[in-house]
Amino acid sequence: MTWHPPRDLVERYARGRLDPVLTMSVESHLARCPACRAAVPYEEEWLTASWERIEDLVDRPRPRLATRLLCRFGVPEHVAVFLAATPALARGWLVAMAGVLGFAVAAARLSAQDGPGAADALIPFLVAAPLLPLAGIAAAYGRHVDPAYESQAATPLAGWRALLLRALAVLCCAVALTGAATPLLPGPPGLAAAWLLPALALTAAALALSTRFAPPVSVAALAAAWSGAVAAGPLFAGDLLLAFSPGAQALYALAVPALLALVYLRRARLDPGETR
Amino acid sequence: MTAPPATVAVTVRDLAKRYGRRVVLDGVTLELGRGVTGLLGPNGAGKTTLLRCLATTLAPDGGEVRALGLDPADSGERVALRRRLGYLPQDPGFYPHFTVFELVEYVAILKELTDRVTRHREVRRVLGEVDLADRAQAKVRRLSGGMRQRLALAQALLGDPELLILDEPTVGLDPEQRMRFRALASRLGESRTVLLSTHQTEDVAALCERVIVMKDGAAVFQGTPGDLGAVAAGRVWLSDRPPTEESLFWRTADGRYRTLGARPPAGDPADPGIEDGYLLLLGGSSEREAS
Repeated sequence: MTWHPPRDLVERYARGRLDPVLTMSVESHLARCPACRAAVPYEEEWLTASWERIEDLVDRPRPRLATRLLCRFGVPEHVAVFLAATPALARGWLVAMAGVLGFAVAAARLSAQDGPGAADALIPFLVAAPLLPLAGIAAAYGRHVDPAYESQAATPLAGWRALLLRALAVLCCAVALTGAATPLLPGPPGLAAAWLLPALALTAAALALSTRFAPPVSVAALAAAWSGAVAAGPLFAGDLLLAFSPGAQALYALAVPALLALVYLRRARLDPGETR
Repeated sequence: MTAPPATVAVTVRDLAKRYGRRVVLDGVTLELGRGVTGLLGPNGAGKTTLLRCLATTLAPDGGEVRALGLDPADSGERVALRRRLGYLPQDPGFYPHFTVFELVEYVAILKELTDRVTRHREVRRVLGEVDLADRAQAKVRRLSGGMRQRLALAQALLGDPELLILDEPTVGLDPEQRMRFRALASRLGESRTVLLSTHQTEDVAALCERVIVMKDGAAVFQGTPGDLGAVAAGRVWLSDRPPTEESLFWRTADGRYRTLGARPPAGDPADPGIEDGYLLLLGGSSEREAS
């Protein structure tokens, strides 16, 4: 080989400042000439990092559907991978949630009637809707519901960060599903959305109680309390919708920030290594 | 009991834990240094509870733990400790629908490896350490018991932890895999503190520099494997007939009877091993029982 590219040409090539024709020409020479190839200046760290990126691009597994969806909504990739493993967001749970909602909507539509009793048809839906995120939270994180819990419990993310992240994901999912079902309901639209504040309040209460008891125990107690509260309306005040009245809604609205503040203050107690 | 380890990485003082009325840990006091320490004890001795307290997945009812200079009773120091420890639980659960790579990557995220390229490189590294690199895309539910155990070990190795807590790591491994595990554990023990619980005294003899024996929620022995064997010095016998007195004995492969304790009629003294010392400690009849 008698011709070798001049040094300045190689340097410009290394900096990526050559036009495509000259780049191809220099590259074809470098491919055949070890001496010139060895003379190409490069940063070792940059080269190693580049190779790693290329290797990862070729070799990395395809993310799960849930991970891809969450990333599309702007969730950081590592958080999306974490949330996609939430047991309460598994396909079975989502189908069950959709089934409960579908049943409640169908029941409301079948029993819908004109006149003053029209709102009563919404009661099964209004009672069930706030319980959905509660059930999801019970199955989101904990020793008895998460098969990989013990391994996770010894990691820095264990405890309140893991529980709150997953609870938020479950809540968002339940609210989205229930919100999508709400326009299908008969009756006044304002009343059909009366499940939202109780759902938020019950979720916040479940998290607050979980600082003292295991999440499934907290959720079971709250579900019983919620059912009792709804039943108390017609029993003691003769009002089927007392638990969804404006006064009750104001109470839920006040309870949500208060309970969340309590969760924040007691967040260390959500850690498996903390004495409750 | 021999001298404490030269470099103390973990100190436990009067650790106590009870479940309801059942006392599981009854004032455990011990020290761990660099290297591999074996934790021996029968079922129900409190080994797993002790390991869970050290791995910060369970809060003790009393006593003190100090690991790598950190106090796990303090929430901030507990998180700092978790960044530096690896834990293989006795019953490591899995998401069966995940692939091997996905499961280890998931734990890597919990260990705060947020950068994807770095995380993937680390996942590949630990899978290579346990010979699972070629199964990275296999579903967890399709793995054998031994492969699952290696998978669990891989997640414990993420982040190159300074303190490794392994609860029965050789369960489910075939003899060749156990040899490989021993090689890996002894290599890790060169620069780290490794605590592993096991029922296999041969694992302890093969790779542990120190051994702790637990019985009824307390550490009844701490020392080297040689010290544990020495507990049985002068109390191991070989005879052609079974002993007449009530004592622990078994028939060996050559047809003779190996007896621990009082000398049987016409008994010849035999060299004590780790298992002999361990069995005598559990029998509660050892006059040289270490505290």
